[in-house]
Amino acid sequence: MRAGARRTGPLRRVLPMLEVRWSRVARAVALGTLALGFSVGLSATAAWLIARASQMPPVLQLSVATVGVRAFGTGRGVLRYLERLASHDVALRGMAALRANLYDALARGPVTRVVALRRGDLLARVGADVDAVGDVVVRALIPAGVAACVGLGSVVLVGAFLPAAGLTLLGCLLLTGVLAPWLASRAAASVERQGAAARAEVTGRSLELLEEGQQLRVGGRLDDRLAALRAADARLTRSTDDGARISGTSAAIDAGAQTLAVLCSLLLGIPAVAAGTLAPVELAVVVLTPLAVFEATSTLPAAAVQLRRSREAARRLVALLPDDDAAVPRPAPRRPADGLLELAAVDAGWDDRTVVAGVDLTLRAGSVVALAGPSGVGKTTLLLTTAGLVPPRAGSVRVGEGGALFVAEDGHVFGTTVLENLRVARPDVTEDDARGALAAVGLDDWLGALPGGLDAMLGPDGADVSGGERRRLLVARALLSPARVLLVDEPAEHLDAATADALVATLAGHAQATGRAVVVASHRLTPLAVADEVLLLGVAPGAGAGARTAGVVARGPHAHLLRHDAGYAWAAAQEHAETSPSPG
Amino acid sequence: MRPLDPRLLRRARAARRYVALTAALGVAAAGIVVVQAFAIAHTLGPAVTAGSAGTPLALADVAPWLGVLVAALAVRAAVAWAQERWAQKAAADVVAELREQVVAHTVALGPRPAVTEGDEGAEGAAATATLATRGLDDLAPYLVRYLPQLLLTAILTPALVLVVLGLDWVSAVICVVTLPLVPLFMWLVGVMTAGASERRLRTIERLGAQVLDLLAGLPTLRAFGREIGPGARVRALGDASRRATMGTLRIAFLSGMVLELLTTLSVAIVAVGVGLRLVEGMIALVPAIAVLVLAPEVYLPLRRVGAEFHASTDGLAAADRAFAVLERPLPTTGTLTAPSLPGATLVLDGVGVRAGDRGLTAPAGLTTRVPLGTGSPGGGRVVALRGPSGAGKTTTALVLLGLLRPDEGRVLVEPAGTGGTAVVDLADVDPATWWPQVTWVPQRPALTPGSLRDVVTDGRAVGDDALAAAARTTGLDEVVAGLPQGWATPVGLGGTGLSVGQRQRVALTAALLDGGPGDGAPPPVVLLDEPTAHLDARGEQVVLDTVRAWRDAGRTVFVVAHRASLLALADQVVDVRSRAVGPAEAVAS
Repeated sequence: MRAGARRTGPLRRVLPMLEVRWSRVARAVALGTLALGFSVGLSATAAWLIARASQMPPVLQLSVATVGVRAFGTGRGVLRYLERLASHDVALRGMAALRANLYDALARGPVTRVVALRRGDLLARVGADVDAVGDVVVRALIPAGVAACVGLGSVVLVGAFLPAAGLTLLGCLLLTGVLAPWLASRAAASVERQGAAARAEVTGRSLELLEEGQQLRVGGRLDDRLAALRAADARLTRSTDDGARISGTSAAIDAGAQTLAVLCSLLLGIPAVAAGTLAPVELAVVVLTPLAVFEATSTLPAAAVQLRRSREAARRLVALLPDDDAAVPRPAPRRPADGLLELAAVDAGWDDRTVVAGVDLTLRAGSVVALAGPSGVGKTTLLLTTAGLVPPRAGSVRVGEGGALFVAEDGHVFGTTVLENLRVARPDVTEDDARGALAAVGLDDWLGALPGGLDAMLGPDGADVSGGERRRLLVARALLSPARVLLVDEPAEHLDAATADALVATLAGHAQATGRAVVVASHRLTPLAVADEVLLLGVAPGAGAGARTAGVVARGPHAHLLRHDAGYAWAAAQEHAETSPSPG
Repeated sequence: MRPLDPRLLRRARAARRYVALTAALGVAAAGIVVVQAFAIAHTLGPAVTAGSAGTPLALADVAPWLGVLVAALAVRAAVAWAQERWAQKAAADVVAELREQVVAHTVALGPRPAVTEGDEGAEGAAATATLATRGLDDLAPYLVRYLPQLLLTAILTPALVLVVLGLDWVSAVICVVTLPLVPLFMWLVGVMTAGASERRLRTIERLGAQVLDLLAGLPTLRAFGREIGPGARVRALGDASRRATMGTLRIAFLSGMVLELLTTLSVAIVAVGVGLRLVEGMIALVPAIAVLVLAPEVYLPLRRVGAEFHASTDGLAAADRAFAVLERPLPTTGTLTAPSLPGATLVLDGVGVRAGDRGLTAPAGLTTRVPLGTGSPGGGRVVALRGPSGAGKTTTALVLLGLLRPDEGRVLVEPAGTGGTAVVDLADVDPATWWPQVTWVPQRPALTPGSLRDVVTDGRAVGDDALAAAARTTGLDEVVAGLPQGWATPVGLGGTGLSVGQRQRVALTAALLDGGPGDGAPPPVVLLDEPTAHLDARGEQVVLDTVRAWRDAGRTVFVVAHRASLLALADQVVDVRSRAVGPAEAVAS
């Protein structure tokens, strides 16, 4: 699947998404070249000035050089300032474009990638990865361009006086500009490769100690585990040793090359003066100019490491992107022969495995169906498949006019007003619609207490929304959507038993009153009495120990299952036992 | 923020060694810079002078100084190698030392570290986890890049100024006058622009958060079929963010410009001054070249310190967070040896624990007497802790474990056969003598990675028979029989690879083996927290069987129980209740 990406290189695949205008890059490189060029110019002019001055000419003959030295000294700071602004402008434009293009690609691509975004810290990683890819401009491309221009310019300058010295300077620049960065990049790769296992162990051990530390103390295992952490950290340190030696070599080359260039210039220049091919004043320029040139290449080892890091970040971003050729003509939905939605022998699952197999279900106007079963059995996967967000692995899903809406357990509350959050469902939701939906889920008191009411901000910058309020807000938003089928995942999570049961009853009543259909997934069984039919998902008892594919093990109205399915009855009874002791 | 936090040197041995090494290498670097400048001056100077006079030098005339230059090259490369190589190692060592201290100290703080300002419980725990796993890595660039330049500024810069003073006092005066201007002007620029950049930074953060908010909401938008519209908004937010950032950078880079301007201009002034004095014969060519070569080197460390400034702030902030954890005071622990528990009685006397963030005392006013089992077969007891969620059942368990001190009331131990005369307050007992008498199975049992057998035995010497017997009681034998690799099945950190029910069975088996043969006497008290949550009928039966096995062996089993079946098994039921903290009380606390 990713073969194409591997062939072209992830960075090259992502770079077009930065929409870099190369004229801006050229401007930044030109400014950077001028800034460093001034530095080299200062060094060369000062060398000429001093050597010429030692010959005690009339002071007027030095005036151009003195003015030049002062001008070079003043201009450099200003040019460098302009260059930094220009290069950061390029990078920031790139990051903004990349974010927008990434959003577009994810919005249009296959939905499995988007669903994957919800897992773990992937989202935070995407933000950091975009920045890392953008950094490639400021920290790698532009410094490399500047180093190439300044390096070549200096070689031409020195070579104009003494061609052989120009060549030795070129050789030394290649040492620091190519060999040292290559070594630095190799060192980083070595640390990453050899340290990966040790680093994972250090992280795991640290987290274990932090999360389970109290248990380890009571169990008398704390000292063992601290020793294990120390040993893992020692392995991590050792694994960085190879890398440290290589980057040491890179630093040594960087430090030695400058002196080497000066030494070569002396060795070539002194005989050239004796041979009369080089003026004594020019010798000073040839020997002292290299002292300023190596500043240009000194940033390149870090640039090479940045390039590596950006490439890794780009690789992770590419993995999120849809394949070019798979770009999504969404299949025209097939209409059910009968009712609002029809599943026929559907196998639901992910790329690599089937989670729930062989589900048949027909929803008509006013249907209320429940999916029950233990956590992890595959209720959410089946709902995603029913909603058309994940393609079925077998069988067919037919959805009628209006479509089916999946209401996720962890649906997103946007950092905007209550009203705008509800308008995600439908742009033309009026304030009265909004109040009605909130009242239906029992949030009218909550809304009344919010400063600003429907205009109150939610999310990180605004009012806190508790777990239970959030669940109900998501259900209210679903009620406002034009979809004829609502697929609601665990509406009772984070709610106390009475509120949870009332919310499911609200959904059922709403479906019956408006001619919509509702499917509710719930691991809590008590509220399912309002459903027309309960599908109990589970792994059939006869299946082997390794079998993980679930199916419908029993179905029927709640009361029927209570009578005929012992496991169902037992689980429902436990819920009553749990709630029976009255709160103190 | 101080550029070198003395606490870093105090807390991390590796940091002390590293600073000493870097200082020594800094002295060597200073020496090399001077030697190299002299070598260049003493070869180039005579060559130019002799060439101008029409009697050019041969290489042989300056061979000794060329030899010095070769040696300088070698030593300079060696110093750079050593600095880089040992800096990386020292950084890894310092991070490891601090990580271990942070982790050990956090564990020693107990299950609910006293909440300090701006550091709420769960958030604080997540922040500590981030600090221990990734945050401390920010110290590496600080130690590898910034600190050496800082020390060089302290060592090399004054040394070079002294050398220049010996060569040409006018140039030395220029250096002495301009050097302090650099930090002064950078400080001035910083002060003048601080307010503006902070305001803009907040704007940038808000814009960035909005983009991430839309990305995070993408699954929701797609579910509603509304995903296409916000693309334009992401682009607009990105543009706004860029404009705001550029505004900040225009100001932030000013200090960099001042730095570059002052340093290069100073070098230019030195060069022009030396040139003009050369014409008048006030200085010879050799010292003039030496001054010209040395002048940029005087300012170089200062420029690099400026360039690595971000590494310094990030690194010092990471160190600061680590020290904030390390400086939190540890709870006081008792020193008395715990009495032997079989046959003793636990007395809970008005025990209450404040749940700081929820405005609750949970448990509140818990008073009861719990006689413990005798330790001999048939003399065991099962004590259930009952109450609605949030009432403080788990907290009560933590108090009984001696991990948490009650905010109100106390837990007393009446040793067996003393008739209540030799009562000991649990708060005065050394936990190290209390814990060997307790086996604890928390809600989420910790499982070490390894083979299934290693996980269950956790380093204890357990015979196959004992293992098989324990596995039979908990039903783990069925699980093992279903696994292709049996007891050798690898289990990841935290029990990955096992289902919730399987994990529960593993934890119960391990608890059954705690204090088994080869590990001293079995602890007389067992504490099970929510053992039946998320279990099916078979899983619950396993828990009941295990609890019965412990009681039959004469041990005391405390169970945090929700379900009727466990409550039915209990010899004693303790009702745990919470109480809301009144507004007045909340303010007072």
